[in-house]
Amino acid sequence: MKRTLEVIRASSWLGWQIEANWADPFLFVVYSIAKPLSTTLILFFMVRVIAQGQATAEAFLFLFIGNTFFLYVTEVLIGISWAVFRDREDFETLKYIYTAPIRLLPYLLGRAFTKVVTSTIGVAVALLFGRFVLGLPIGGDAFSWVRLAGAVALGLVSVAWLGVALAGASIIVARHSMNLNEGLAGAFYLLCGAVFPLEVLPAWTLPLSLALPFTYWLELIRRTLTGHAYAAPLSGQSDAMLWGILALSTVGLAAASMAWFAWCERKARADGLIDWKTNY
Amino acid sequence: MSPERDTSFGAVVRMNLGAVLARARVRVVASWRETSWVIGETVFPFLTMAAFVLVYRGLKAPPMYEAFVVVGGAMIAYWNNVLWSMASQFFWEKEQGQLQLYLITPVSRMSILLGMALGGMAMTTSRAIAILAGGSLLFHVPIPSDRALPAFGLFLLTLAAVYALGMILSSLFLLWGREAWHTATLFQEPIYLASGFYFPVRELGPLAGGLAALLPITLGLDGIRQILYGEAAHGFVPLAWIPPIQVGLLILFLYLAHRALATMERLGKEEGRLTLRGA
Repeated sequence: MKRTLEVIRASSWLGWQIEANWADPFLFVVYSIAKPLSTTLILFFMVRVIAQGQATAEAFLFLFIGNTFFLYVTEVLIGISWAVFRDREDFETLKYIYTAPIRLLPYLLGRAFTKVVTSTIGVAVALLFGRFVLGLPIGGDAFSWVRLAGAVALGLVSVAWLGVALAGASIIVARHSMNLNEGLAGAFYLLCGAVFPLEVLPAWTLPLSLALPFTYWLELIRRTLTGHAYAAPLSGQSDAMLWGILALSTVGLAAASMAWFAWCERKARADGLIDWKTNY
Repeated sequence: MSPERDTSFGAVVRMNLGAVLARARVRVVASWRETSWVIGETVFPFLTMAAFVLVYRGLKAPPMYEAFVVVGGAMIAYWNNVLWSMASQFFWEKEQGQLQLYLITPVSRMSILLGMALGGMAMTTSRAIAILAGGSLLFHVPIPSDRALPAFGLFLLTLAAVYALGMILSSLFLLWGREAWHTATLFQEPIYLASGFYFPVRELGPLAGGLAALLPITLGLDGIRQILYGEAAHGFVPLAWIPPIQVGLLILFLYLAHRALATMERLGKEEGRLTLRGA
C-alpha cells in the first residue's frame, strides 16, 4: 500500500510537471480557467438572449452547476487516456514503466490525480465567478459544503475508474483513435443532462442516461448547492437513494474497470503494443 | 552533375501548384482513411452541438435559436480544423521530424499552407454537412433553402479569410513547443464564446462584440445568420458591410501570413527551434 501511494505521488508530480511547466504560473492559471469560464459565459448569454421568455435565473443556476462540475469528467477522462498515448508515442516512456518496479495502474491513477487538481482550479474559479460576478445564490451552511465535498469526492472516484477503463482501451488502440475517447466525454455531456433537464432528451435515451453514474452525481451536487431537485426523472429519488446509487455504481465501475484494464494490459503485452508508435 | 533546373516563372508556378495539390490530396485522402476520425469528427461534434440545441429546448426558446446553434456547430468544425490541422500543423510536423523536409523543398511555404487549407476545407465540409443535415433532420431546425445561395457565397468568403488567419497562426506556432498545444486549446472555448457560435454575437455588447468581429468567423457567422433569418438573427454588423470587410481581412491576413512565415522561419533557424531538442 505504501509503495502504491509512493507511485501515485511520484506520477502525480510528473503529471503536474507535464501539465504546468510549459508556462509561468499566471499563464497556467489563465489557461486552466479559460475553458470553464468560457462555457459558463456561453450558457449565460444563451439564457440571457431569451430572458424575455421563460428562462429564469434558477434555470441558469442549474445549467451553471452541471456545466461547471462536468469539467471534471471531461478533463479526467480525456487526460488519463491521453497520458497513455503521450507516454507511449511522444515521450516513449511507457515501456520504461514496465521495466521499473512499479505497476501501471497506480501510475495512471497518479496522472488522473493531477488532472483532478488542475480541474479543481477551473471549477473553483468558475464557482467564485458564478457567486461573485454573476451573483448566483450558490452556497449553504457548513454541512452543505461537507456534503458537497463528499459528493464531489465520490463522483471523482467514479470518473477516475471510468478513466482507467478508457486508459485500458487506449493501450490497445492506435493514437488516432483518441478522438473516440473525446467523443465519449461529449456523449456523456449530452446523456447525463449536464446543461439541460433530462426530460428534453428523447424518451429512448432515458435508460442510457439513468445508467450513467454522472447523472446521479450532478443531480446530487445540484440538490446540495440549491436545495432543490432538478431532473424530473429523478424527482422520486431521495438524496439518500442518490448517494446509494452513486456509491454502488462506483464500486461496480471500479471492479469492471480493474478487470477490463488487466485484460487490456495483458493483451498489449502479448501483442507487443507497449512501445507501439502509430503517430503519422 | 545535376540536371539544369527550370527557374522560369511558369515552371515555378507549376511547381507550387503541384505542391498545393499534393498537400491538399494528403489531407483529403487521410480524412477518409481512418474510420475513427470520420466518426470522431462528425458524430461527436454533433453530440456537443445537440447538447446546446437541447439547452435552448430546455429553456423553451423559439426554434430559431436552435437553428443558430446548428449553423454555429457547422462553423465550429471549420474553426477546429483551422486550429488543429492548420495552425498547429507545423508543430505536429516538428514533433514527427518532418518539418525540415518542408524547409528543404524549393516550393513556397505559402503553397504548402494553401494546400493544407484547401484540403482542410474539403475534409471539414463533409463534417459540416453532416452536422447541418443531422441538425435539420433530427431537431427539425428551420434552414431556409431559398436563401442558401447568398449564404453560401458569404460562407466561402468567410472560409478564405478564416484559413488565411490560420496561415498566420501556423507561422506563430512554428516556433513553439508544447505551448502550441495549449494555445490551440486556449483558442477553442474562448473563441466559441467570442464568435457567438451558440448565440447571436450582439449579446456580447458593442465593445466585446466589436473586438470579436475582428475575427472573420465571427463576422461570417453573423452575416450568414442574417441572410438566413433576417431580423430574427439579431445581427450585429450591418449585412452590407460584411463582404467588403471580409475581403479586406482576407487580403490583410494573406499579407501578414507571408511576412510572419518568413520572419518566424528566420527566427527559428537563428534560435535553433525548427527541430525538437534532445533531452
